[in-house]
Amino acid sequence: MDISEPEIILSIRDVTKTFPGVRALGGVSIDIRRGTVHGIVGENGAGKSTLMKILSGVYKKDSGTIVFDGQTIDHTTPHESMLRGLAIIYQELNLVNSMSVGENIFLGRFKEMKGMHGTHTKARELLDSIGCKVSTTKLVSELSVSTKQMVEIAKALSFQSKLIIMDEPSTSLTGEEMALLVKIIHQLKADGISIIYISHKLEEIFDFCDIVTVMRDGNVIDTKPRVKFTRDELITKMVGRSIENEYPHRSRDIGPTLMQVKNLNTRKLRNINFTLRKGEILGLVGLVGAGRTEIVRAIFGADKVRGHQILISGKPVTIRNPKQAKDAGLGLIPEDRKLQGLVLPFSVEHNISMAAIERFTRFGFIRGSLEKGIGAKHVQSLKIKTPNTKVAIKNLSGGNQQKCIVGRWLEIGPSIFIMDEPTKGIDVGAKYEIYVLMKEIAEKGGAVILISSELPEVLNMSNRVLTINDGRITGEFDPEHTPVGTIMKAALGLEGGAP
Amino acid sequence: MKGLGTILKDYLVLVMILGLALVTAIIQPKFISPANLVNIMRQFGPLILVSLGMTFVIIGGFIDLSVAGTINLVAVVTISLIDPLGQVGALLAGLCLGSLCGAMNAVLILTSGATTQAEALFITFGMSTFYSSIALIYSGGSTMHFWDLKSPPDIFQAIGAGSVGPLSVSFVIFLASLAVLWIFHTKTAAGRSISLTGGNKTAARLSGVPVSRSIALIYTIGGFMAALGAIVLFSRVTTAAPVIGAGFETNAILAVVVGGTTLKGGKGSVIRTVMGVLLVILLNNSLNLLGVSSYMQWAARGAILVFAIWLDNRKEVQGNQL
Repeated sequence: MDISEPEIILSIRDVTKTFPGVRALGGVSIDIRRGTVHGIVGENGAGKSTLMKILSGVYKKDSGTIVFDGQTIDHTTPHESMLRGLAIIYQELNLVNSMSVGENIFLGRFKEMKGMHGTHTKARELLDSIGCKVSTTKLVSELSVSTKQMVEIAKALSFQSKLIIMDEPSTSLTGEEMALLVKIIHQLKADGISIIYISHKLEEIFDFCDIVTVMRDGNVIDTKPRVKFTRDELITKMVGRSIENEYPHRSRDIGPTLMQVKNLNTRKLRNINFTLRKGEILGLVGLVGAGRTEIVRAIFGADKVRGHQILISGKPVTIRNPKQAKDAGLGLIPEDRKLQGLVLPFSVEHNISMAAIERFTRFGFIRGSLEKGIGAKHVQSLKIKTPNTKVAIKNLSGGNQQKCIVGRWLEIGPSIFIMDEPTKGIDVGAKYEIYVLMKEIAEKGGAVILISSELPEVLNMSNRVLTINDGRITGEFDPEHTPVGTIMKAALGLEGGAP
Repeated sequence: MKGLGTILKDYLVLVMILGLALVTAIIQPKFISPANLVNIMRQFGPLILVSLGMTFVIIGGFIDLSVAGTINLVAVVTISLIDPLGQVGALLAGLCLGSLCGAMNAVLILTSGATTQAEALFITFGMSTFYSSIALIYSGGSTMHFWDLKSPPDIFQAIGAGSVGPLSVSFVIFLASLAVLWIFHTKTAAGRSISLTGGNKTAARLSGVPVSRSIALIYTIGGFMAALGAIVLFSRVTTAAPVIGAGFETNAILAVVVGGTTLKGGKGSVIRTVMGVLLVILLNNSLNLLGVSSYMQWAARGAILVFAIWLDNRKEVQGNQL
């Protein structure tokens, strides 16, 4: 960076944005230089997404100036931004599932491409240029998330983009797919294209970003070359305080068997048998689609499963639906927070209280004061950031939403807490708080089943891990005393551990 | 803090009602004559009752097109039972029959696993045809009149034309239903479960909220209220034709949505539905008084429905920007 700084392609100066009741951006200034990968990190609610949406034209800024490629941009639309050469690749990709790869890349521009033949030929060239082999006639609905991202990148290139914004691109990528993305990012950079890379994963920021900007509470806290940041400094700046450890210490106090699962078989699962002990955090390790989620859903009665047996504290229990699971002392944080966890239009209070309706009703009638107390109690004890408990939960950041779901179950006090990707898409500070909660649940004589795609998280939190591959348990390990490689091999189905 | 704009948007129906009343009253002073006000109150009969039931179905995230068929069936069966069972027996039988029709819709929806509004739309549309055809077969296609009965049905006559003090009996039935349903929706666990089911079925189920029971309940309430509407309706016109309920399903949905209950489920209230019905009634009344042709009235009605749905979606878009 020191020798001959490349020119500035995008200059953001004192940009502010206020939503009713919330100051989302309080005067943000960032310069993006040509041909650099610029990482932007910050907790949820730091203002990253708002800033990106202003750049792409989804929102209008209140004040400040934005100069892109020599042109001052006052207000724009997503389409105009695209034409100017500023492309955004959102976390939830914006492709038409029912159309082919080629059609998606040149959507609405078939005429310019001189018909479908030209469309597919040009699409092929673009995909080849980033080393993507997928057929241009394949339907997007048949593609993996990773390939869809490639298609989005090709689409961005088709507009001769000078700047590509990637919003949490790695959330659902496997290690191999991630390596491919990194390769493409390096190639784009070499071609003089700038990239804004937004991520929660510090590994990635340190892996390939040139410059890093830290945002917090709608402000830029610091911008400097990545090499000048230390990991601890970055975390401290993100959360506004220092965090000693990323994970709390493991609890050692493991008690007797709490739950036994016997002969769990479905179309996907083969003969699943395992036990869960009091005070234990049991991690399920495996690739996405290996059957981890299916196991916990079956136990929780969310999917129809017959023929298996569940014993809790030695007694057989029947769990045919989530209600029975709840009554048997199970709690579940589902995999997809928005679709399966939250009732978005409802208030924080109603979302927290919903699993415990019996607790604040008498003869079927709701007692408002009791419900209010339940909401307030968890907002306070879990430090949920919200103006008040009557606010719609959709206005909260991901981490705070997740804490509401945790609070929902804490109110019931389940002895067995199943957490499926509990920290997906939430920031470092909130992650740590959820880890501490997990540990507390275990220490109070409960047990946690933890599923996570972030390997360090499962390995550092669990007392014991089971590796799952293709619907089978392929191994059982003590993560403290087993090399990661051994666990990964078992998760990939390459060799079994002690079953 | 809510801005004036937000308040206006939230209570748009109320603003429209007041505006419409004001304009009509200025142009046509007859609008505020006692006779016309009584006329408006009388119209608050069958439609509001059916719409109150429909509100629950829509809050629960579903839709019910079967109410027209239910009304047809309940009307012809109830009137035919007055002679054999007596008036009270017939009344109770009619209400039970309506609830049963609703429960049957729920059973079909639950057992088929139809979890979307669109699937429910087609199932209940089919059931409407089914109930209507039973009504036709049962009555032989003929219309029954009060004067065909052995003795004049004084209870039904009172429901149709009687009054309690200044209020018509049907208005009292409406007020009572409103109070019960409002309390049920906002103050009971079952009401909350219905809202949560409409807000996000999957999340509700995974949190142990009784989703299937809520679905059964909304359709049963819908059927019961349709039956109540049917009874008020045929009592007023003193005849029960097997096609008496035609059009009620669309008007009820119109009233609920115009009132501001979202078709997406979860959010809404019976009070809003009352405002929706009031707007629809006032619109008809005003346009009649102002001498607007009935064709234009249909156009106005359609425009309001489309506007209400447009506004509902628009709020969603803006809400997401936070």
